[in-house]
Amino acid sequence: MSEKPIEPIHQFQIHDIIPLGNVGGAHIAFTNSALLMVLTVLVVSAVLLIPTGAQRLVPTRGQLIAEQLFTFVSDMVNSTAGHDAMKFFPLVFTLFTFILVSNWLGMLPYSFTVASHLVVTACLAVLVFLTVVIYGFARNGLKFFKLFVPSGIPWFIIWLVVPIEIISFLSRPVSHSLRLWGNMLAGHIVLKVFGGMVVGLASVGALGAIAAILPLGMAVALTGLEVLVGGLQAFVFAVLTCVYLHDAIHPGH
Amino acid sequence: MADPHDEKRPEGDDGKRSVTEDLASRIARAKSELPVAKPEPAARGNGIQGANRAYRLASEFVAAIIVGAGLGYGIDLLFGTRPWAMVILLLLGFCAGVLNIVRATAEMNAETSVPPGTPAVPDEDDDDK
Repeated sequence: MSEKPIEPIHQFQIHDIIPLGNVGGAHIAFTNSALLMVLTVLVVSAVLLIPTGAQRLVPTRGQLIAEQLFTFVSDMVNSTAGHDAMKFFPLVFTLFTFILVSNWLGMLPYSFTVASHLVVTACLAVLVFLTVVIYGFARNGLKFFKLFVPSGIPWFIIWLVVPIEIISFLSRPVSHSLRLWGNMLAGHIVLKVFGGMVVGLASVGALGAIAAILPLGMAVALTGLEVLVGGLQAFVFAVLTCVYLHDAIHPGH
Repeated sequence: MADPHDEKRPEGDDGKRSVTEDLASRIARAKSELPVAKPEPAARGNGIQGANRAYRLASEFVAAIIVGAGLGYGIDLLFGTRPWAMVILLLLGFCAGVLNIVRATAEMNAETSVPPGTPAVPDEDDDDK
């Protein structure tokens, strides 16, 4: 074994890059997580803005990427949340591109996966949840409570169904954030465990180096899988956002 | 980024024809190759799709239980009814979890709607995984 133990969790450590001092007892700093978030925003902006600056009828590759991304998300919002939800298209598009690009940037060596911290995904999920609740009440008023009272239920069951529906509704941001966080965390830990096995076995000797081929193959395959999972989770997050927005616009099942 | 073909396309009839013919033949070739190449990615996609469904259902179920237990704990703290609210709301959380799973499954089924006219018998694709 190498002198430094291989920790699969080490990659998730947050460290300060520019400390900004303390505000009300809370330590404020520009961290590596914040750096990756800023990078994500810069990459998304660059990919979307630079090729679409000069719009051409026959699109360049860059413009095609931007256009495809746009149509993809707009189709998703339209089909899942309905046409009325198109005013939330910027929100869904931002969430989708942010999660997608931050997940993929996190796959680079020495990088950091923003979504591997529950705080980040919980913030995103709470943002969606509050949007649904506030817009739901603003649009439907008290009719929004219909969400908790399914129609066609006899009165003697309703007192049991309503609490269940309320818990089910409140569990949405929890599962929404848990899924993205869990996927990214678990995937990266598994990746690091196999990577650590390669290093550990290779340092043992010639026989170990031969045996290290197996975990190396796994690590390569898992890297590909992680790229896919990163894209898939961004998609799932965006689709569920659309599903919840649909409920805000049309409460009552 | 700017492809040299791009600028050439509008001018000259020959250039246009050769480009479109080239493209047409390439599309035809790609189409003829497609059926052979298709089954493998589809099968691989199924595996990831399945894992994704499992994650989704598991998180929906667990989230409802966490929220139920948390709400119960909070009510107990507020009103000093030590175990009771938590017990009841935990059970309701289980119910909500099952409800979440039923909803999520219904959503998934709606996404992959069966084309009309298919027999109501599981096909080989379902048995594989």
